[in-house]
Amino acid sequence: MFGVANLTQERIVLALALGLTTVFSIALPGFLTAENLLSLVRSVSVLGILGIAMALVVIGRGIDLSLVAVMAVSLAWTLHMVATGVPLAVALALGLAFCLLAGIITGFLIAYVEIPAIFATLAMGTFIYGFGRYFLITLDVVYLPDAARSIVWIGSGSFLGIPVPVLVFGGVCLLGALFLRYVKAGRYVRAIGDNLLAARITGIPVRPIIVMQYALSGLIGFVAGLVTATSVASMNIRVANSTFVYDVILVVVLGGIGLSGGKGGVRNVIVGTLLIGVLINGMTIMDVQYTVQNVIKSLILLAAIVADTIINPRDEQTAQQGDI
Amino acid sequence: MKTILELRHATKEYRGVPAVKDVTFTLEQGEVHALLGENGAGKSTLTKMLAGVIAPTAGDILLDGQAVELRGPSDALHKGIAMVYQETSLVPSLTVAQNLYLGDARWFNRLRGIYIAAQQFLQSLNFPVDPTALVSSLGAGQKQMVEIARAVHHKARVIIFDEPTGTLTPEEKHHFFALVKRLQARGVSIIFISHALEEALQISDRITILRDGEYVVTDRTENFDRDRIVRAMVGRTLSDELYGRADQRRARPAGRKVLSVQNLSMGTMVRNNTFSVFAGQITGIFGLIGSGRTETAKVIAGIMKRDFFHGGQIRLEDRPVRYRVPRPAIRDGIIYVTEDRKLEGFFETMSVAENIYVAAMAGGQSRSSMVSMSEMRQLAETWTKALNIRVINSDARVVELSGGNQQKVVVGKALVQKPKLIIFDEPTRGVDVGAIAEIHQLINRLADDGMAVVVISSYLPEILHLSDRILVSRQGRIVEEFTGGQADEETIMYAAVH
Ligand SMILES: Nc1ncnc2c1ncn2[C@@H]1O[C@H](COP(=O)(O)OP(=O)(O)OP(=O)(O)O)[C@@H](O)[C@H]1O
Ligand SMILES: [Mg+2]
Repeated sequence: MFGVANLTQERIVLALALGLTTVFSIALPGFLTAENLLSLVRSVSVLGILGIAMALVVIGRGIDLSLVAVMAVSLAWTLHMVATGVPLAVALALGLAFCLLAGIITGFLIAYVEIPAIFATLAMGTFIYGFGRYFLITLDVVYLPDAARSIVWIGSGSFLGIPVPVLVFGGVCLLGALFLRYVKAGRYVRAIGDNLLAARITGIPVRPIIVMQYALSGLIGFVAGLVTATSVASMNIRVANSTFVYDVILVVVLGGIGLSGGKGGVRNVIVGTLLIGVLINGMTIMDVQYTVQNVIKSLILLAAIVADTIINPRDEQTAQQGDI
Repeated sequence: MKTILELRHATKEYRGVPAVKDVTFTLEQGEVHALLGENGAGKSTLTKMLAGVIAPTAGDILLDGQAVELRGPSDALHKGIAMVYQETSLVPSLTVAQNLYLGDARWFNRLRGIYIAAQQFLQSLNFPVDPTALVSSLGAGQKQMVEIARAVHHKARVIIFDEPTGTLTPEEKHHFFALVKRLQARGVSIIFISHALEEALQISDRITILRDGEYVVTDRTENFDRDRIVRAMVGRTLSDELYGRADQRRARPAGRKVLSVQNLSMGTMVRNNTFSVFAGQITGIFGLIGSGRTETAKVIAGIMKRDFFHGGQIRLEDRPVRYRVPRPAIRDGIIYVTEDRKLEGFFETMSVAENIYVAAMAGGQSRSSMVSMSEMRQLAETWTKALNIRVINSDARVVELSGGNQQKVVVGKALVQKPKLIIFDEPTRGVDVGAIAEIHQLINRLADDGMAVVVISSYLPEILHLSDRILVSRQGRIVEEFTGGQADEETIMYAAVH
């Protein structure tokens, strides 16, 4: 049992998701079917995978606005290479290398040049999109070439009745959780997010860890890109200019990972993703307009934050001074 | 005398565990009321209820005999209750003057205007602080002064000082006490929290003692002496060894030379500084705040950014070293224990165990890149026991610990990294009598075991009590050296000031 004080945002959001599920199950015929629930999770699995990438960065007190651009451009380039005759394995390796390199450059700018993460990643996102569009691929949309048929199962296959994207989401969650808990570097990420100065003085290799954090984000972005490209058989790099990256941040913040760093984990991402999934699915069944959906999404986010502030009032002084 | 502020049968619980239990406390008009107790006794919690920072779980607050509800610190300030916190709550990126007038309409006036006003105001309080300086550039003592000035500026009728003197030099303390007397003369009532019992005995009219969140006793100060206070605080009589002033022992001889600093210069704080540190003894560095002790220590340990380095040489066991980040210094066995634990001492969202384990990992105790839960548990157990760290439950985040216990976590984090040379910067700030004795014992043991120990302190009795060698720092350099037991307070103080 937990008292009122333990009603964290994570629990509020979980309760909201369950509540909504109950309402939808009663009100909407066809909502509570195994088929629909699976397709619900499947529809948000890319969002969830990107959410894990974003969470790793946000826990380390960063933010990655270039995440979606990296995902889109790297995959579009990979598909483009395959279409022009590069062997699939080589193209995949190059695409992955592209993501890692982008992450390393971003991390370098933030850790060593000391540019604030929000500006560095914003600029990198724009740069990567422009660079990719101009130098790497010729069209905004790159279709999946026949030579890449062998990886289509990632996006459209299923295993034991569960769609592969859902399994990939699960796998990324598991790895993310293990990383944060059992790998030293994962602990360091959290320590840096908690208190950068203390991390430095304690002898944590702060700057290499920051670089690693963005490289990891790029790596997971590539996985999300693979799932996207193989499920819709194309990659539209204009997604880099959409508000998609804000949806990813929404999932992370909604789940209760504070943007101030050090707090939260994979569970929060899962909870945030599920709520968004339930919401979108229900609204789609109800045929709610896209714009209205966005308004409702933002209202939910506001509600979650307000509820959190009321139930866990942040005491201004303890927030500023850890010493009591 | 008239009662101005009263707390009646107040209880404050955190997650069902009471930090303050059914305490009644009265503050009279124009008195200085000292609030004493061990680390975690609930002093800060009690005063935070009075200052509107936290709401009591049960019980009432009465102001001028009327029950009031304080809706937050600014509401309390509006009603005339100000609190000066244990650790600073200033905005580091603003100047001193901007911090002073933060929240005033005056803030919108031209900056020049508020600088002049601030200058005059600070002078009237006898505070040597530059109003145009950024708060982030001030030392701990000066920050405290700004904080006090801010409370005075708000014309509070009740001012609560939570451990105000911990960071002050003797001279600044002198000013502070004079200021308290002046405030008192103006009819301001003062609550004063301190771990230095002599201060409470010297300055207060009445003393209230808490133990484990419970009220023990309130009485006029004349009726107390040190022994009675300690007995009330800890609930039993303790051996003199732990609580009394240990008598002079013979200074330990110098061992191998571990560190030598030659002509070190850095910014404006450190000028041509030269000194050595030896194994197996405690080198105490005394000086006024701003005499460059912390900065010197931070260059040695690689914590200062390199652009501040202006020449000189540091040798570790006869090998010249120049660290740009702390990590290699830690790997070589140089560890600095910070004076500002909130800013850079610990990870507040983590438990004690996690804090210590992260330090162990970063200190390179094990090669593996994986976390070992059993090792973490075992380290935590060892160090919580060795340092007597008190927590409500083992998952408690460090931010929930009392100040003294937080300090012990910081010390634990350093010791787990197996230092050869350890530099304690104000190791007992905000720590209760018992814990001070424990930390001193621990420091002594480290030196007995052959470690090179440096203790930087602005508290002269601490320096005298611990040091085998005493270095006096003034204006960015070591100006004098004494052998422990040779010099008395006056001589050392004279060297530090003149
Ligand atoms: N925000 C909080 N959450 C949980 N526990 C808390 C919180 N604040 C204080 N406590 C607990 O309440 C108890 C009293 O703490 P308090 O800070 O009042 O002690 P104190 O007497 O001021 O100690 P110190 O001399 O070390 O400053 C401690 O056991 C502390 O761990
Ligand atoms: Mg306290």
